Amino acid sequence: MPTDKTAVLADIDAMLRAVLGDFGTDIEITAASTFRADLGMESLDVVSLAGRLQARYGDDVNFAQFLAGLDVSSMTDLRVGQLVDYVAESLGAVAAAS
Amino acid sequence: MRFLAVNGLSLHVAEIAAGVGRGPEAPTAVLVHGMAGDSMASWYLTLAHPLAERGMRVLLHDLRGHGRSDVPTDGYALDDFVNDLEGLLAGWGVTGRVHLFGNSFGGTVAFGYALRHPDRVAAITAIDSAPPTAAWFDRMGRRLGRAATLTATGRHAVSARRLRDVQRLLAETTIATELPASRLPDPAAFAAVTCPVLCLYGGDSPMLELAGPTERLLPQTRTVVLENAGHSMLVDRAADVRGHVVAWLDDLTTTALTGGREGRTHG
Repeated sequence: MPTDKTAVLADIDAMLRAVLGDFGTDIEITAASTFRADLGMESLDVVSLAGRLQARYGDDVNFAQFLAGLDVSSMTDLRVGQLVDYVAESLGAVAAAS
Repeated sequence: MRFLAVNGLSLHVAEIAAGVGRGPEAPTAVLVHGMAGDSMASWYLTLAHPLAERGMRVLLHDLRGHGRSDVPTDGYALDDFVNDLEGLLAGWGVTGRVHLFGNSFGGTVAFGYALRHPDRVAAITAIDSAPPTAAWFDRMGRRLGRAATLTATGRHAVSARRLRDVQRLLAETTIATELPASRLPDPAAFAAVTCPVLCLYGGDSPMLELAGPTERLLPQTRTVVLENAGHSMLVDRAADVRGHVVAWLDDLTTTALTGGREGRTHG
């Protein structure tokens, strides 16, 4: 399981492109990309992303807890890098504990 | 993404398992979203996970014509949405009583289900909503008529996408005429619905006018008004809504444990 941020960003990049489908073909995804303005994500896309995070990382990454720290409007202003940081920290914590 | 085949349609569904320590006996919560422009995301991103953490099995779906579910050209009367809920519960294998949560029109679907199956509903939580009545469906018809004239001018990309979905729903289906013309229940039928009811209203929402009539139909209703909140309070005031709902669910649990009205100690 990757815990370095470059590998996590690559994982999330692939998930986002899958979620966005045709909308995600030509866009550039970086840590600075915002979910809404840059990626054009809507709230249902976030639901879909949550399912993919669960499938990839299982219970090691608690996306619900991540969501709980945000309200719905700030979620769409979220940057990809914030999610990458959260995932990398979660996976790092798991690696350190095991 | 998961889908269930119900009434000839493919409906987008999601499930969040009950939090630690709850097995097959976990109570079931079904979360129903609102009309035209809403989706399961409003629940998923606000109350769904907190309810699961409280030990509930949480089930969500996109209504027909909404979100990632199929968009049939017709079949948008209240009964169609209640039929879908019946079919989904069967598809999910739910046989016991359910806690129904409804946002706006989703609450109306919940009341519609309770009128059909009063013994299958443990409680109803309605967010800025109302049971199926002529006054509410008249209002809904006017709202759907106004939504058809919205434009994308000056909106964010995400809003434009959602707007496109709404315009497609209104332009390519019969919802705007069929839903307001739904067959409505006889007001006397509400006497059969005896489960606890929580109605949350936004203090600034026009839906607040329906609070009094709702209490007359369902006298057990606990009404809570959130000041300075509008119709989209579930999303805009998620933390406040969560606080009221969780406090109410705690009260219900206490009442049941201490042999209150829900405890059936008489007889």
